Amino acid sequence: MTAQVQATTASRIPVNKHKRDWRGWKFMGPFAVVFVFVFIIPIVYAIYISFFKRQMIGGTKFVGVENYARLLTDTNFWQAVGRVAIFTCFQVPIMLFLSAAMALALDSMKLHGTKFFRIATFLPYAVPAVVSTMVWGFVYGAKYGLVGSLNDLLGTNIDVLEPNVLLASIANINTWEFTGYNMLIFYSALSTIPHSLYEAASIDGATEWDIVKKIKLPELKGSLAITVIFSIIGSFQLFNEPSVLQNMVPGNAITTYYTPNMYAYNLSFTGNQSNYAAALAIVMAIITMTIAYIVQLKSMKEQMK
Amino acid sequence: MRNGKKFIAATAAAATLVGMAACGNDANNAEANLGDADKAELVFWGWDSGNTMKDLIADFEEANPGITVKFNNTGTAADTSTALSNAIEAGNGAPDVVMLEDPTVTQFAVTGGLVSLKEFGAADLKDDYAAGPWNKLQYNGEPYALPIDSGPEMFFYNKAVFDKAGVDAESIETWDDYYEAAKKIRVTGSYITNMAGTENDYQPFTAQAWQAGAQPWKVDGENITINMHDEGMTKYVEFVQKLIDEDLVDTKTPNWSDDWNRELNDGTLASLTIGAWMPINLMNGAPDQAGNWRVRTLPQWNAGDEVSAEDGGSALAVVSQSKQQAAAYKFIEYLTHGDGADTMAATGTFPSLKRILSSDSFTDPDAEANKEVNEFFGGQNVNEVLAAAAQLPVTEFQYLPYNPFAQSSYGDQISKAYTGEITLEEAMANYAQALGDHGTQQGYTVTVE
Repeated sequence: MTAQVQATTASRIPVNKHKRDWRGWKFMGPFAVVFVFVFIIPIVYAIYISFFKRQMIGGTKFVGVENYARLLTDTNFWQAVGRVAIFTCFQVPIMLFLSAAMALALDSMKLHGTKFFRIATFLPYAVPAVVSTMVWGFVYGAKYGLVGSLNDLLGTNIDVLEPNVLLASIANINTWEFTGYNMLIFYSALSTIPHSLYEAASIDGATEWDIVKKIKLPELKGSLAITVIFSIIGSFQLFNEPSVLQNMVPGNAITTYYTPNMYAYNLSFTGNQSNYAAALAIVMAIITMTIAYIVQLKSMKEQMK
Repeated sequence: MRNGKKFIAATAAAATLVGMAACGNDANNAEANLGDADKAELVFWGWDSGNTMKDLIADFEEANPGITVKFNNTGTAADTSTALSNAIEAGNGAPDVVMLEDPTVTQFAVTGGLVSLKEFGAADLKDDYAAGPWNKLQYNGEPYALPIDSGPEMFFYNKAVFDKAGVDAESIETWDDYYEAAKKIRVTGSYITNMAGTENDYQPFTAQAWQAGAQPWKVDGENITINMHDEGMTKYVEFVQKLIDEDLVDTKTPNWSDDWNRELNDGTLASLTIGAWMPINLMNGAPDQAGNWRVRTLPQWNAGDEVSAEDGGSALAVVSQSKQQAAAYKFIEYLTHGDGADTMAATGTFPSLKRILSSDSFTDPDAEANKEVNEFFGGQNVNEVLAAAAQLPVTEFQYLPYNPFAQSSYGDQISKAYTGEITLEEAMANYAQALGDHGTQQGYTVTVE
């Protein structure tokens, strides 16, 4: 009886009365359980095992922060981080510029066959990364690939898989894969602009370029923050492309520690050091989150202006 | 909200504890894991290069009505050992029987992933197998796997290309002869072979260094000595450096790559030094060169020697997680020692059993299984050459207990010598350092000389 009274009072007056009330948990419960198992436990477990060390001789023992200390002086790791950082600095701006340009072109409504173009540029995103990398690998082949055929035709000796240009070749694959995806994000942002705005602008005598500069580009800023963050996270997690290319590239230019993710993978699976790999994964997560956070702060500040 | 956080933390802590308890329960009760030798549902991981597993398993199941075998094709050897180490780490999900490359067996034996086959009587089979493959599967003097095949290193060559260069391959007795042949072949635009220093070139490396008498690493219990410049290694390194410097080997094409098959098929690569299991791969990879290939024993480091070496080979082992180990052993015994071994030998697997190697039917040129291969090799009696090589003396050679790392690290460190960045001697020194560091991390006492 009292419970009923309380319930009705609570529903009538939605004020938190500092009394334990489990009704919310009944709704939250199923989600909370899944959330804990799928998100929280794996992270906690990864952190937990990163404080241990498993050896072929001596078994598993607690070592505190030894794995983290070793990581700080591990040149292989920092080389890999440096490599993906360079990759990010060049690949992300190029890709996003192309995406924005494509989105603006599609949105200009002055082109024929926009629907086909939209699908065609988005299609590479739907192709699994492993498949597209293999396709590109065959294209890149300096002996039997498309590049090889071009070399035969032109009498040149171009090899896009040479160690010093390899990263750019991988960046090209990534750009091909993700330009359409980012284009779609930009495009959807542009299509939320009411058309009356364009009409008003042209009545006021604005040129097409003015419309782009004054209406469309400012609108793109919001989605730019999202695409930048997604792209940075994606680049720092670079794995599929170099890993598939590894056997196609002459001279083993792709080492087992080419990117941080590859290093973690090889440490665990060929190096019997999954604890160290867990520490690496956590440090990488922190680095990536920090960079993404800085980017977000910066873009929020700009939007406030 | 505060309560919510506590709740999540408590659940996480509880779940972590459960996880830890599961991990800690590693100790195996040997008795309970034997299971019924006549009644089991076995799971078997491996690869199936000859496409024969289905028939083999059907035959086995017919002979052992209580046992069924489910074969999971786990892809390449590397994929299989990765999958196995995942399952061992997870504490469950491992198969009963696993196919492994010989050099990886020790690693799983050291870490307790495999059971010793001694208690099943496998040690008594020692004299039935060729020494090369058998020796590689021992740990602490006990067998941990039985060999499916063996891989004496052979010299496969494309006679058409050799003829074009005016080289009689049959007269190549030593590696010096080989070097002279390499020069003549290079003039025609082809390469005598490829060497790229990738992880796929690791096995040919160990085989050649092994044949030169090198002992790049010595394992004695928990002590490992690494020496990349003993007499044998020096011989090997100087020889290969000469080939690289004079552009006599194709350093851009790794073994088993797509380009590799194409170059074998169009004659760009004139020969290979690789295991005796190669014929079937050549037939698939280089169909256009049918009739041109020949095989011969390996060139020697000293004229008049007869030293062989092993390249690869695979074996079957029983996994510690299995609860049906007795039946699992029955299956691997059937495949490697029993009737299954004959079936496999008849369908392209190069046997490790002495009784098959020296049997008349194995080297009979009129046998159905031999006809196709011999035709590809221009009528040569291939198995006769291979069987002879398999019986040659093999010096002792050990693999590191962390062989998968040694293999992947080989690619990282040694490829730089093939791109000309550093010399092979420097690369080997770096490699020794990397292997030493890893050994120390794994708790071994390592001396790098």
